Amino acid sequence: MTTAIAINGVSMEYVTPEGTTHVLDNVSYEVSEGSFVAIVGPSGVGKTTLLRLLSGLQKPTAGEILIRGERISGPPAGLAVVLQDYTRSLMPWLTVERNIALPLKNQKLSKADRSERIESSLEEVGLSGQGGKYPWQMSGGMQQRASIARALAVRPSILVMDEPFASVDAQTRFDLEDLVLKVRDDFGITTLMVTHDIDEAVYLSDEIVVLHGRPAKVRDVVTVDIPFPRSQIQTRNAPRFAELRTHVYAMVRGLE
Amino acid sequence: MIARRIWHWLLAILIGGWLPVLLVTLWWNASASSENPFFPPLELIWEQFKLNWVFLNVPIHLVPSLQNLFLGFAIGVVAGIGLGALVGVSGAVSRYVEPVVDFFRCIPPVALVPIFILLFGLDSAMRVASIAFATTFPILIATIEGIRGTNLVLIDTASVFGLSRAQMLWRVRLPNAMPVIFGGLQVGFQIAFIVTVASEYLGSGFGLGAFTLIATDSFLILDAWTGVLLLGLLGYALSLVFDIVERLTLRWYYGQKQLA
Repeated sequence: MTTAIAINGVSMEYVTPEGTTHVLDNVSYEVSEGSFVAIVGPSGVGKTTLLRLLSGLQKPTAGEILIRGERISGPPAGLAVVLQDYTRSLMPWLTVERNIALPLKNQKLSKADRSERIESSLEEVGLSGQGGKYPWQMSGGMQQRASIARALAVRPSILVMDEPFASVDAQTRFDLEDLVLKVRDDFGITTLMVTHDIDEAVYLSDEIVVLHGRPAKVRDVVTVDIPFPRSQIQTRNAPRFAELRTHVYAMVRGLE
Repeated sequence: MIARRIWHWLLAILIGGWLPVLLVTLWWNASASSENPFFPPLELIWEQFKLNWVFLNVPIHLVPSLQNLFLGFAIGVVAGIGLGALVGVSGAVSRYVEPVVDFFRCIPPVALVPIFILLFGLDSAMRVASIAFATTFPILIATIEGIRGTNLVLIDTASVFGLSRAQMLWRVRLPNAMPVIFGGLQVGFQIAFIVTVASEYLGSGFGLGAFTLIATDSFLILDAWTGVLLLGLLGYALSLVFDIVERLTLRWYYGQKQLA
């Protein structure tokens, strides 16, 4: 398998008046094309920092990140994000349709192509015909579907999600988990997701990266050898699922 | 549904309207037999009002005032939002500019009219400049405030999606700041109205300010009263229009607030 993302010896320090905070220490990891990777770790460990580096929103103090062999120096083309806080990542003054259209402005698309993209993205996330609504007229789950649709509309090769389902209720969460699996299958998008929910990480991923320590290092990479397609009922009841979640949980808590 | 809406409207007019009606009635009756030359009966003022403003004096006094007001306000809006956007986006610029802005906004706008007379003479350019200058500062300050308040999640999202700096400003930061900017526009408009009248007190024969002042100086008390009355009505009507524009522009903001 080819490598989609290579993280090579990345370290990150924040210099503040109170002193230097060392967040990441020599983190290295390779994400293969088309795989689903979850990044887990105790809260405050630097998961979000790692995603910000990947999205080109910040530059690492040492090391480099390559996407398809090219070193990134700013938000890379072909990468889309879905953030936890959907209430603050969708523009409340635009309808869902126009929210989705916004990132398409810089892609040279004909009007017909653009509306086709918007329509098909809405359909993919199960929001057909809802594009005329404002985000705040929708439930939390629907808003998060809308921000997934916005990410898909740019036809990304890499999708980065930062605790995308942390603020929705449990039922909705299961639906959205299955939605991102379907999206990965339909488009073959390489997906990276930060989560604090270990069950979710096991359920979704091909591989789980466990960050631990201060500054954080990659403690382990766990391969989730549960076959796809997965199902909320059978997969979560499988003995292998329980073994893996126990194993990952112990590592996150620093018990193993 | 529509019937209910009309009913709500009527109710609102009834609730908001009874006090003004009562006050006008009181004024009308209390002044009916007034012999005081400075407080003539409202009935006489009303007769004179119709004579002056339907529509004899409208072209020479009302139109120039409105022209100055709108032109000055428009320049102030463009300058205020433009400069505010510039300062709000760049933290470095704002540190240099803010003390100066604070200094100028603390000068009572009317006090600058004489200076503008020195610069522009006594014609309408001076009035427009005074209005524009006075209007700029509240809008400028609101814009800086609003632009700075853009949440970081929104900015991060937009930059990952490859929006340029200009797009970020135009499509994300400015719309996001609109509710705050509108606060500045409202204050700016009130100040513009005040300066419009005040600027006509000096060296002008035309405009509502000039009309009222000249009438008072010439002991044309009825005319002076009609001028004040018209200014009051005008100010009220303009602020109503302003509210409607705001409601329409910020529908998303009020809709969101209602649900929250």
